[in-house]
Amino acid sequence: MEHKAGPLNKKFWTPGVLVMLVFMIAGGISILARFTGGIGYITNLTNARPWGLWVGVDVATGVALAAGGFTTAALAHIFGKHYYEPVTRPALLTAALGYTFVVLGLLVDIGRSWAIWKPIFNWNTNSVLFEVAMCVMVYLHVLYIEFIPVVAEQFKDRVNLPGPLSVFNGLIDMILKIADAILDKIMWVFIILGVVLSCMHQSSLGSLMLIAPTKLHPLWYTPILPLLFLLSAFAVGYPMVVFETTIASSSFNLDSEMNILAPLTRITVFLLGIYMFFKLGDMFVRGTYTYLLDGNYQTNSFIVEMLFGVMIPWVMLLFEKVRNSRRGVFTAASLIVGGVVLNRINVFIVGYKPPLSDNGYFPAPGEFFVTLGLIATLMFVYRLVVTWLPVLQESKEVPS
Amino acid sequence: MIKKIIVFAGLILLTAALCTAEIWKAPDQEKAKERAKEVVPFIKEYKDDCQITRRMSLIDAGISIKNVQDVYFLLDSPVIKKREDHYEPVRFAHKRHAALTKDCTKCHHFRPKDENALETTRCSACHQDSFNPDHPERIGLKAAYHQQCMKCHQEEAKGPVDCKGCHLRNVPDHKNLVKLPDNADPFQVTAECLRCHDTQAEDMLKTAHWLWKGPSPYTTGHRKDIMHGKGTTALNNY
Amino acid sequence: MQLSRRSFFKIMGAAGASVTALPPSANAWKSKAPPDPYGCLVDLTRCVGCRKCEEACAEVNGLPTPERPNCQCIVFDKKRRPDDKAYTVVNRYFTGKLDQFDKPLPTYAKVQCMHCQDPACVSACIVGALTKDETGAVRYDATKCIGCRYCMVACPFEIPAYEYHDPITPRVIKCSFCYDRISKKGGLPGCATICPTEALTFGKRETIVKVAQKRLEENPGKYIDHVYGEKEVGGTSWLYISSVPFEKVNLPVLSDKPSPKLSETIQHSLFSYLWSPLALFGVLGALMYKSNKNQGEPENKGGY
Repeated sequence: MEHKAGPLNKKFWTPGVLVMLVFMIAGGISILARFTGGIGYITNLTNARPWGLWVGVDVATGVALAAGGFTTAALAHIFGKHYYEPVTRPALLTAALGYTFVVLGLLVDIGRSWAIWKPIFNWNTNSVLFEVAMCVMVYLHVLYIEFIPVVAEQFKDRVNLPGPLSVFNGLIDMILKIADAILDKIMWVFIILGVVLSCMHQSSLGSLMLIAPTKLHPLWYTPILPLLFLLSAFAVGYPMVVFETTIASSSFNLDSEMNILAPLTRITVFLLGIYMFFKLGDMFVRGTYTYLLDGNYQTNSFIVEMLFGVMIPWVMLLFEKVRNSRRGVFTAASLIVGGVVLNRINVFIVGYKPPLSDNGYFPAPGEFFVTLGLIATLMFVYRLVVTWLPVLQESKEVPS
Repeated sequence: MIKKIIVFAGLILLTAALCTAEIWKAPDQEKAKERAKEVVPFIKEYKDDCQITRRMSLIDAGISIKNVQDVYFLLDSPVIKKREDHYEPVRFAHKRHAALTKDCTKCHHFRPKDENALETTRCSACHQDSFNPDHPERIGLKAAYHQQCMKCHQEEAKGPVDCKGCHLRNVPDHKNLVKLPDNADPFQVTAECLRCHDTQAEDMLKTAHWLWKGPSPYTTGHRKDIMHGKGTTALNNY
Repeated sequence: MQLSRRSFFKIMGAAGASVTALPPSANAWKSKAPPDPYGCLVDLTRCVGCRKCEEACAEVNGLPTPERPNCQCIVFDKKRRPDDKAYTVVNRYFTGKLDQFDKPLPTYAKVQCMHCQDPACVSACIVGALTKDETGAVRYDATKCIGCRYCMVACPFEIPAYEYHDPITPRVIKCSFCYDRISKKGGLPGCATICPTEALTFGKRETIVKVAQKRLEENPGKYIDHVYGEKEVGGTSWLYISSVPFEKVNLPVLSDKPSPKLSETIQHSLFSYLWSPLALFGVLGALMYKSNKNQGEPENKGGY
């Protein structure tokens, strides 16, 4: 296998980065407002709508889109398809960052951010959320551990802290080396653990809504919601890798990795097909198709989700021509990613309608600022990491 | 000079009124008060007659509204006071209600099972404390009063159904509320009243008591003045 | 990546043992309702809309005094919900019933936490800050709460409210069933104590259900033949009887299935003793071992 990851060594401050910075500042101000005036000060959340944009997007969608991490790890390391290893590192980075920002999003959203550690000591094993929280917590650490070799590879024998900190150079170097050596032996445990934990909480995110049958629209409320969440996480993993790799390689002017991405989409046809089968099957078994033509915003949102997020990209990917074209693959992957994003938004926001006291919900500007700020920060850190650490495929510069 | 006389006269009248109030007590009010303090033994079992049977048996026993002895009750009991005390007890004109309804069974809807018991026993014999675990279906005295009164008032579209129609709100003891120096002057007193009762003061300004003006036939030396009164010279027509 | 034969079998063995030792099918869902809880019956035909219960509730629980304008109509004009300032509110509904003078007859309905027998909020609470007490009260412990608001998502009656304007220590606010009072002998909830017409009847739930059924039997035609809360979501401590359909006074139509049953069944059949994650771990481990053996030593050291 002729692949080698390396740092980018490119100019960091581009206009794009500056735009991100603006979003980050807006988000930062909003977060400041949230922690001085309370959640009610900058959100439209009410007693009827305790969960809004932050849970729907920052948490649920964030977790779903980080699925690229465990799906590629499973493919390359567990199923032994080492051919795909070049995409595992960027996918791992996205997952690690994704989950970090899920936790940051949670910190903003929960009322008592300082008490976030309490579930570790107060267990309620009946609570779906407890399981999700535990899995996310452990998985976040697994992701960090999985990332240590990347750091070690870059800094082994090269630890060079500035100024007075340089006395620790030797110590840190030693820690890095030891960690790397130990991890080399037991990394398989973390890789499998990562996949297991992901399967657990990806599905359980769907179980969250099972306790509120009267509040979630029947188009989405189904006993197999956890299965659908898991299947959609499987399905969105590779498209997400395609999506971000394509964006990264085009914005950093890297070699196109179509030779890897094209076969990934073939697997996606299969995974997305299963998801579609269950989703449509569930609709027909429960007879919820009767709602489809209601024409309200909820049913329309479901139609968009199914049509543009699942069916159209699936049909697209059936064609060899699409699978082999960079543009085609990217379009299909974007649609799938969008479909899963919309699915999570639908389940947690659009489809959620408490029958007694709902008074409509649309996120307040403050909520958007926080979410966009977090996403911008995530992209910022991603760029920072790929610039300095060996994550992306090293390439000969494509002459522009 | 005149003002002084008026104030003086007023004071004498007031003291007189207070003294007489101390001495004279309305006998039926006192009787009602005493009666309301009693707690009678709880009647566990009652005769479950329908209203027609009940009416028949009252006719058989020769009981009619002519037999009503108690003119006036205070609807009150230590049983109610035990739980809460927000309103003054209702003053219930028993005889008048009997005369209006002409039907004792409207209120005396059941009788005790004990044959020797009074045919028209008092409410608080059967209805006492709420939520008695031994008699969960029996409502408490307060609820019995309210349900009975309000139901009838609504059905007959006669009589009040709001709280203040029957009750006086319990007036808190003003001893500790009013803060006045010894020998306070009238303005200080007024100011102290206004401290809490500003809305009442506003209302007062719109009443005839405040706006009244006209001849003062009973005020010495001003019998023929027609422009006296609170609305003009702040003089009262004593 | 190096997966030694020995360590692999060690883990596989552990996973296998746990799967065989603890069959998941033994987890039929059981109700966790207390054996002899208290209950409270709301008889909507008796409620006169005086809102004294609101006042008493606020006084007993140290909440702000409810608005009491000269005319209640101002308050009743809009439909209110319990919020972070009130555990309970009374609403007025005109359901089309007319009195004998053809005037529309109002029906007043008190809303508060129903104190479900198997509460969704208790099942949902991530830290167990909400608990179902022996008295039947669903209690909230703010010291455990992290503010995730999943209880509010889960509650089928949309009761828990949140102090959205407290930036650091917001609490979930809901009726406590006056736990401090009813847990003492002869104690009554504030609202039931003050109700002038005994529209609220407090007692043991079992007794209260019987009282309700008896009232339905003894007054044929007066009530809708249903005790709301007897079976809804597996039963609630607060029960309602009414002369107008319950959905007209904003009491939701709910199934008799306890709210947490489905999610708890799924969670426990999948995750009790972590059998399924361990099994998955084992299967994936086997796959990984096999695929790596087939291809010889993996060339990318360090996994990633």
